[in-house]
Amino acid sequence: MINRNTYTWTGLGLLIAGVMVSLPAYFILHLIWLTALGICMLILSLILIALGKAVPKLPPEVCSLLLETGIDNIATLIEELGIKTKAIYLPSSLASNRPRAFIPLHSNGQKPAITKALPQRLIARYGDSPEDIGLLISTIGSTATGMLESKPGATSAELESALTSLLTGSLGVADGTKVICHNNHINVEINKPRLENGASWSHQCLGGPLASVIASIAAEAWDKPITINQEKQHNGKYYVELEVIR
Amino acid sequence: MKLYNSYILTVAILLLLTTVIMIATGQNSLDIFFTVYVMEALIITELYVSFNDKARRGLNLVSAILFGGFAFALCLQVIKILA
Repeated sequence: MINRNTYTWTGLGLLIAGVMVSLPAYFILHLIWLTALGICMLILSLILIALGKAVPKLPPEVCSLLLETGIDNIATLIEELGIKTKAIYLPSSLASNRPRAFIPLHSNGQKPAITKALPQRLIARYGDSPEDIGLLISTIGSTATGMLESKPGATSAELESALTSLLTGSLGVADGTKVICHNNHINVEINKPRLENGASWSHQCLGGPLASVIASIAAEAWDKPITINQEKQHNGKYYVELEVIR
Repeated sequence: MKLYNSYILTVAILLLLTTVIMIATGQNSLDIFFTVYVMEALIITELYVSFNDKARRGLNLVSAILFGGFAFALCLQVIKILA
């Protein structure tokens, strides 16, 4: 029932210390200031124990291993196929069950128009032409979207709130987010990101892990396909520019 | 984790600063100390909106316990005034 982690142990320590300080201070020594300090310890101990229960049981190192393995597998697949086209992040309504990334195998410079839900297969067909096929894959963003309490709305404020809740609160990989939307472009600014971006071929195709998460959530919020136009890191901030495909 | 640490540090620093200021101003009522602590803890908890569901549930329980303590202290004061 209680997770054995630093927060819980510190909380239990403060709880015992708080009781040992406040009770004698109030009943024996009659010192209000010392009793007040004991009460401070008790309040902090309750907060620490409550947060200790919310700390994930899986160590971050294990999560990092799983993430790197998944990214490596996708990178190998994309590199072997020699795909250079940018991935299109589809909402769950167009990708069966949950948001996914669709990578067209052939491109004539134009972004493919995906209007109906694609079958839940690795190689999916989106049009009538023999060349209208691509890879439909799950990304880190596909899974991260499931961690949201509810589907965000298609406004800057709602997307910003969803991203902050996920990246800062649930995943703890950034300090804050800012979203600005104009026409069919969404600009996202991530404050102090703590997730490394690779420079592999797959990164050019799918975007970095953070951009992937942002694109998946934006696709789900707008309920439209989205691509990552640009991403850059500057002065401890990470900027992602998305384009909504109408 | 960084968010949890920042929240705990904020609450700890605020509670200790409050204690120092209230002692310096000659405050000698434990009820007032406790009321100010509870209010500060509740306000800081509300300001940290981006906690996940599990943390939020745990902190809501802590808030309820603190509010219970505040209500108890208030009841004692009311009884004292009426008696």
